[in-house]
Amino acid sequence: MNAPAAVAAVLAVGVITYASRAGLILFLADRPLPANVTRALRYVGPAVLSALAINLIAGGEGIDGVTGVEVAALAAGVAAAALSRNLIASIAVAMTTLWLLLWIT
Amino acid sequence: MSSPDPSPPAERTSARRHDPAVRLALRHCIPLFLPAIPFALVLGLAITESAMPTSIAWSTNVVVFAGAAQLATVSLAATATWVTLVATAAIINLRHVMYSAALAPRFSEQPGWFRWVGPFFLIDQLFALGVARPELSNDDWRRYYLTAGVFFFTAWNLLVTTGLLLGSAIPTEWRLDVAPAIMFAGLVVLGLSNRPGIVAAVVGAGVCFATLEVPNNGSILLGAVSGVIAGYVADVMTDRAGAQA
Repeated sequence: MNAPAAVAAVLAVGVITYASRAGLILFLADRPLPANVTRALRYVGPAVLSALAINLIAGGEGIDGVTGVEVAALAAGVAAAALSRNLIASIAVAMTTLWLLLWIT
Repeated sequence: MSSPDPSPPAERTSARRHDPAVRLALRHCIPLFLPAIPFALVLGLAITESAMPTSIAWSTNVVVFAGAAQLATVSLAATATWVTLVATAAIINLRHVMYSAALAPRFSEQPGWFRWVGPFFLIDQLFALGVARPELSNDDWRRYYLTAGVFFFTAWNLLVTTGLLLGSAIPTEWRLDVAPAIMFAGLVVLGLSNRPGIVAAVVGAGVCFATLEVPNNGSILLGAVSGVIAGYVADVMTDRAGAQA
C-alpha cells in the first residue's frame, strides 16, 4: 500500500472510530438504541474477530494460504485461551507450537 | 465562563495529585492495563511487518487509538483493498456504538468540550471503568475518566513503540506475522460468555473459511455479517426457550 493510500486509510479509520464512539454521546444524548440493535451489537465482537483470525491465517492467498502448521498453532492458542483465560498464555502456547512444528517439519 | 484558579501553579499540581478521583482512576487503571500489554507488543510487531510505511502504521496509535481496529488496519494493508480494510475496521468498531449509548446519559451532564474530547478515549477499558462509577459526582467522574483516558493513551503509545523496536530486531524466520491472527482468536475466546456468543464466533470463522476465495478479502465481511445474524438468532431462540421453560 503506497503512502497516500495508507494515510487516507488511517484517517478514514480514525474518523469512523471517533464517530462510533462519539455519535450517540453528541447527538442522541438521551435516546436509547432499539433493543434489537443492542442485542445484535453484542455479537459483532466474536463474529468479526473470529473471521479476521481465519482471514489473516490465510494471508490473502485463499484456501491455499492456510497451512497445517499455522492452523495447529491457532488451535493450540484457542485451547490455551479457553483453559487458562489468559492472553499471554494463549500467545505463548500458540507460538511455541508453531516453532516446534516448523522445526520438526 | 469559569473564573481563573487564583492558586499558584505548584499548589494546583499538588492538588491534582491528591485529588481522590485522580488517585482512584490510577489505582483502577493499572490492573486493567496488564492484559493489554501483550496486545500492544503484538501490534508493535505487526507495525514492523505491515505493508504500510512504518510511520503511518504507527500513527494509528494517535489517530485511531483502538487496538483491534489498529491491528486489522496494519495487518490487512498487505492483502486487502482500501475499501475492505476500512470496512473491516468500521465493523470491528461497531461495539463502540454500544459503549456510546450506555455512557450517553452520563456525558449529557458534562460540559460541551468534554462531550467532544471524552469519546476519543472510549476504549474497552474506559467503558468498563466509566460505566461502573455511578457514585462519583459529575466533576469527579470527569476527572476520573480523563485521568484513566490519558493513562491508557500514554501507556499504549509507549508499549506499542516498544513492540515496534523489538520487532525490528527479530528475524522473519520467527514467523511473528502469525501473531495477530492468534491474538484475535485469543480475544474471541476470552470475550465469550454465553452460547449465542460461541455461535457468532463459530459461524463467523466458518463462513470466512468457506468464502476465502471471494475476492478483495470479502470473506471477512461475509463472516462478520453471518456471525452477527447467527448470534442474534441464537440469542432470540435462547430467550424463547427460557420463557417456555
